[in-house]
Amino acid sequence: MFNLRLLKKVTFFSLLLIFISVSFALSKEPAVTAGWLEKNINNPNVVIVDVRKVEEYKAGHIPNSVNVFYGSWAISKGGMRNELPAMDDLFDLIGSSGITPETHVVVVGKTDTPPDKFDMTRVVWTLKYAGVKNVSMLDGGYNKWVAEKKAISTEQVKPKSKTYKGEINKNLIVDKNYVMSRIDKAVLVDVREPDFFQGKKKLDFVAKPGRIKNAVNLPNSLAFNQDSTLKTKEELEKAATSVIGTDRTKEIITYCDTGKTCTAWAIILSDILGYKDVKIYDGSTEEWTKDPAAPWEQ
Amino acid sequence: MYRGFVVDKSILKNDPHFSEGCSSCHKGNNKASRKEDAHKNLVSRPSKDLKTCETCHEDIVKRFKTSLHFTTAGQRHGVMGRFSHNELIKFDKNIFETSCRSCHASCGDCHVRSYPVGGIKLGLIKGHKFIKKDEGRTCALCHGGRVYPEYTGEYGGSADIHYQKGMVCTDCHKKEELHGNGILYKSMKDVKDRPKCSNCHKAGVEDTERSQRPHKIHKEKLTCYACHAGSHYRNCYNCHIGKGAESKPGFYLGINPRDKKTFTTLRVVPTIRDTFKAFNIKMEHFDRLPNYWDSAVHTIKKRTDRTRSCDACHKEKKDYLTEDILIKGGSKANFDLIYKQKSK
Repeated sequence: MFNLRLLKKVTFFSLLLIFISVSFALSKEPAVTAGWLEKNINNPNVVIVDVRKVEEYKAGHIPNSVNVFYGSWAISKGGMRNELPAMDDLFDLIGSSGITPETHVVVVGKTDTPPDKFDMTRVVWTLKYAGVKNVSMLDGGYNKWVAEKKAISTEQVKPKSKTYKGEINKNLIVDKNYVMSRIDKAVLVDVREPDFFQGKKKLDFVAKPGRIKNAVNLPNSLAFNQDSTLKTKEELEKAATSVIGTDRTKEIITYCDTGKTCTAWAIILSDILGYKDVKIYDGSTEEWTKDPAAPWEQ
Repeated sequence: MYRGFVVDKSILKNDPHFSEGCSSCHKGNNKASRKEDAHKNLVSRPSKDLKTCETCHEDIVKRFKTSLHFTTAGQRHGVMGRFSHNELIKFDKNIFETSCRSCHASCGDCHVRSYPVGGIKLGLIKGHKFIKKDEGRTCALCHGGRVYPEYTGEYGGSADIHYQKGMVCTDCHKKEELHGNGILYKSMKDVKDRPKCSNCHKAGVEDTERSQRPHKIHKEKLTCYACHAGSHYRNCYNCHIGKGAESKPGFYLGINPRDKKTFTTLRVVPTIRDTFKAFNIKMEHFDRLPNYWDSAVHTIKKRTDRTRSCDACHKEKKDYLTEDILIKGGSKANFDLIYKQKSK
């Protein structure tokens, strides 16, 4: 009799725990929907980081979100755009945003123009690099939230500052010398649009048109819908495997022009499609094309 | 009334500014049905004439008339030391009153909100709303060339730590500074209640000895910017009346021209010997003032090259102003700003 009552109690609390876990589901997906975020706005383990400009945040934001402008996460350094801050600065930034390695961070940015969404992917990647284990972006960004008529707040949220101690994921990033050493071995994925990959167009700060020798082209436009939401897993898989193949153990290095937009496919390949060894070349063509010895083709 | 530029009817109902209709401020003819007739004698910036706002906001307008934002006296003060008496008369008549004074701020420049274009609020395309403050428009509209993009990190480098923490211009620059306090100042440097770092950050009460020590050692020798300005800032060169100036990023450390005991960040001013040549002003006393002035650089960081390593200054003299990098043909006063090692 006693054992039966105990069993009932254990069963009840087990079910309760399962219910709580499901209610505050800690999504491991790289993108969460506006609907999911709405349900988790008050989840104590979720920190919503709005990376838009301070003025934009003040004009209206997702309730409970803190504002840490994109320019804090990616800086210009040594003549290069979108570089990582110094590690002590980065850790201060993460800690002062109320984030620990165990926090589920949801990054929110705007998607007014197609390039805007990569603010989110770069910050997601940066947090993963800094050792935050569970980071997502809001699928479709703040614009999607507004389009779905979700609640908007103008109350500025002060983050609960913490001391951040994370473990750097050094295997997520490579430098120019490493790329040179792996040019015939790794799969170099150029995520720029075909006109740039083929050398028909280039940005002003890129020294010459073309691509890194042996690179393959997997443009970012294949990953997103018109409203800047991610395509379905099936669509992403079809696009990726047709260029990279199905071997999930290959070493993959993505690059773009500044190390920003290549974070999108890096996250998709590793977190959605299960490729085990995906890195970004942060210097990208901005650095590569300045070196005459760096193998290049047009 | 034509309502094409006003998106929300509730604005009209709730804001007393609209109670008399558009034409009460913008003039024109609100009875006309053709655009050309309606716009006859239209006033596009009604508050340019302060009387428009003075009717209701008498006290603020009275003070605003004395503010540097309205008088633009700082522009005159910055250059007048280079002129002889006669040259100053010529400058006042032909340049200051017709050029510099023409760009003073009106009430509406800051207090009428419209929708953002490229992050800075401009135009009346989508809206027209009176607001108390709106930093993106209030400041960036005029200070969007250097201070604002340096502050947000968009000029290069990274965002000022205060912007990272969600602070905007008016969190430090209070309305007394912006509206004036009834005193006619010659320069913003004379304004008593300007923001000071020490208003919030008291030196000597830092958490650790490691932080306290450098602040104690360098007190009254360095400005805060000298160590905590994080990245390069815009410097303007070669200004010629009618043609304008050119700019490029730079970072210069040197003697403060206003206080020779301190070392600080310097910014190039674009006035060169023939800036006013078109008006036959030679600047007889050009060499009395330098081409580099102390600058409150808005790229503040907790850690910089100089806070990370004493060697950046004490050995490498990194970013120090030197004879080699002084602008060519510049003022002789520039040489006084170069730091010279004291002989032991």
